Amino acid sequence: MAESWQMNPSISPYQCWDKIVLRSIFLDALKNLSGNALRSGLTMLGVIIGVAAVITMIAIVEGGQVWLVHSLERMGTNLLFVWKKRLTVEERQLFAGRNTELRYDDALAIQTRFPDLLVAPIIELDGQLKAGDRDYSGEVTATAPEYSPIRNFRPESGRFLTSTDLKEWSRSVVLGRTIAEVLFGSQSAIGEDVKIGDQRFTVIAVMEPKGEIYGHDYDEMVIIPISTGLRFFQGTDKIQSMIIHVPDRQRMDEISQALHQFLVQRHDGVDDIHIRNQGEFLTALDQTILTFRLVLGGIAVIALLVGGIGIMNIMLVTVTERTREIGLRKAIGARRQDILLQFLIESTTISVIGGCIGILVGILAAYGIGDLVAQAMPGGGDWGAVVQPTAIAIAFAFAVMVGVGFGLFPAMKASKLDPAEALRHQ
Amino acid sequence: MLILLKNIFKTYKAGQVDVPALVDITLQVDQGEFVAIIGQSGSGKTTLLDIVGCLSQPTSGEYWLDGDHVNTLPDSLLTGIRNKKIGFIFQTFHLLARKTALENVQLPLMYAGASRTVQQDKARELLTRVGLEDRLRHYSNQLSGGQQQRVAIARALANSPSLLLADEPTGNLDSQSGKDILALFEQLHRQGQTIVMITHDPLIAHQAERRITLADGRIVADESIHQPLPVLG
Repeated sequence: MAESWQMNPSISPYQCWDKIVLRSIFLDALKNLSGNALRSGLTMLGVIIGVAAVITMIAIVEGGQVWLVHSLERMGTNLLFVWKKRLTVEERQLFAGRNTELRYDDALAIQTRFPDLLVAPIIELDGQLKAGDRDYSGEVTATAPEYSPIRNFRPESGRFLTSTDLKEWSRSVVLGRTIAEVLFGSQSAIGEDVKIGDQRFTVIAVMEPKGEIYGHDYDEMVIIPISTGLRFFQGTDKIQSMIIHVPDRQRMDEISQALHQFLVQRHDGVDDIHIRNQGEFLTALDQTILTFRLVLGGIAVIALLVGGIGIMNIMLVTVTERTREIGLRKAIGARRQDILLQFLIESTTISVIGGCIGILVGILAAYGIGDLVAQAMPGGGDWGAVVQPTAIAIAFAFAVMVGVGFGLFPAMKASKLDPAEALRHQ
Repeated sequence: MLILLKNIFKTYKAGQVDVPALVDITLQVDQGEFVAIIGQSGSGKTTLLDIVGCLSQPTSGEYWLDGDHVNTLPDSLLTGIRNKKIGFIFQTFHLLARKTALENVQLPLMYAGASRTVQQDKARELLTRVGLEDRLRHYSNQLSGGQQQRVAIARALANSPSLLLADEPTGNLDSQSGKDILALFEQLHRQGQTIVMITHDPLIAHQAERRITLADGRIVADESIHQPLPVLG
C-alpha cells in the first residue's frame, strides 16, 4: 500500500532565501532586540566597554608619544652635546702641561673643519641684572648666534645675536620672556638698558615663549655674546660646553666620532671630551615608548576580553530561553539557516551599534582624560590625546568579532539540536 | 490515509544501557480523524508525538505522512513538512514572550514565505476564528492561559496543516478553559481537521472519536469511541 504513495511535490527543497523571508527574518530579528531592551543593552555594554577602553588607552599613549617627540623638537633635534670630562687627580698630574681644556678656539676650529654643522659654544655665568629699580639674579648664558637655530628658539621681537656682536664684544643682551616681564613689566624692553654686574647692556631682543623643557626654563634665559662673556666676565677662553647641530640624522654617529677624534687631537692626544648624541637618547626614548605601548596594549586586550566575557555571560544566561525559542521556531518551520541568520543579524546589530557607541565614548574619554593630564602635568599645556583611526578600526573589528562570535556560537549549538530536545530544554 | 507508521522503534541511550521508548508501533490515521493517544507518563506518548510531528526521527521503522516517506528525508525537508503540514499545540503553549499574539501567529507564515501583508491579514483572521479579535496586540503575559492556548491554536492553523498535533493541550489550564479548548477542537474536527491529541486524562481522551492506549512503548488498545462525551457535559 505504501508503495503506491508518491513523493509529495509541495514539500520541495528550498535552498536559498527568497526576498520576503529574508526581509521578515531581518525585521523579526530587529524586533527581538528592541523587545528585549535589557538583554540587548547589557550585551551592548560589553562591546561599548571593550571598544571605548581600547580607543582611549591607545589615544593617550599616542598623545604621550606625540608630546615627547614634540618637546624634543622644541629642544632642537639632531644635536650633539660636547662637554669636558672631569679628570682625576692622577690624570691631571699625568697630563700636566698639555692642552686639556675645552676652549672657544675649539668651537671655531670645529666650525672651520665641519662647515655644514651649526656650532654654539656656551658658558654659563651667575649674574645680577638691574633695570631701573627692578633687579633679578640668575644665570646668564653667553653663546653664539647659532644657538637660536640650534635650539629652535626665536626672538619674538628684536633680533638675535649676530657675528658682528661677537666680533665687537658688543654689550647686547637677549632676554627670555619671563625676565623681560620681571624687569620691564608690560613695556617693550627693546633698546632699554640693563646692568649685568657693573656692565651696561642694551636689550636687543625678547624671545618667544617656550616654557620649560626637561627642567630648563627657556623663558628665564639671559643671553649675551660669547665673546663678551669671555672677555668681560670670565677673563679666560675656557668654555663649558658646546651644542652642535648635525643636518643629517643618519650621520650623527659618524660625525660624533669624527668630532671626538678631532678634539682629542687638538688636546694633545688627551681624551678629555665627552660627546652625548641626541640620537642615542631618541633610541632610548623609542624603547621606553615601545614598552609603554606593550603594557597598555596588554591592558587593552584585557579590556576587550572583559567586554567579551560580559557579552558571553549575557548570552549564556539567556541560552535556556533562547534554546526553547530555537526549538519552537524549528518546530513551526524555521530552517537551520533561518535560525543562524536571525542570530547573526541580532548579534551583528548589537555589536555594530555597541561598537559605534564605544567609538564615541572612547573618543570623548580620550580627550577628557587628555585634558586632565594636560592640566595635571607641569609643562603639559599642549598635551592632548591622539585618536588613531587604526586604533578605532582594530577595536571595532575585534569587538564586533567577539560580539558576533559569542552571539552566534550558542545559537549554532542550539540550532543543531533536535527540535524536540530544544523545545524541552531545561 | 494521512499517517502511516510501520514497525516504529525508538531507543534512547542512557549511558551503556539502551532504553526502549517505542517498541514496534504500527498505526494508521485517516484524513479527518480525531485521535486521542493516552497512557501513563513514561508510556512513550511524547516520543510518539515527536516522531509523528517530525521533531525527531525513529530509530527504525517507516513513517509516511501525507504521501511523504518522512524518515528518509533530510532535515531541511522535514522543516518544510513541519511548517506546512503540521500544526503543534503544546501543554506550555510555547508562545514567544516578547511578541504580540499577532506576531506569534505570523511566525509560521513568515517561514513559509508569505508577504507581511498576507502574514498580518491571515494572522488576524485566525485570531478572530479562535475568538481573540480584541487581543491582537497583547503580549502573552497579558493573556490568560486559555487565551494563550488559543493563540497557539491559531498559530498551529496558520499554514492550514493537514495534521493538528496537540500535547496535553489542557494540562496547564483550569477546567473551564480546558473545556473551551476542547470545544474548539471539536469544532475544528467537524470542519474536517485531522487531530492527534496526547493526554493522560481518560475524560479528555473521551472527546476524541478514537482512543489509542500506550503502555511501556507499545500500543495496548486502539478503540473507537462511538459516542464522544458532550464537551460541556
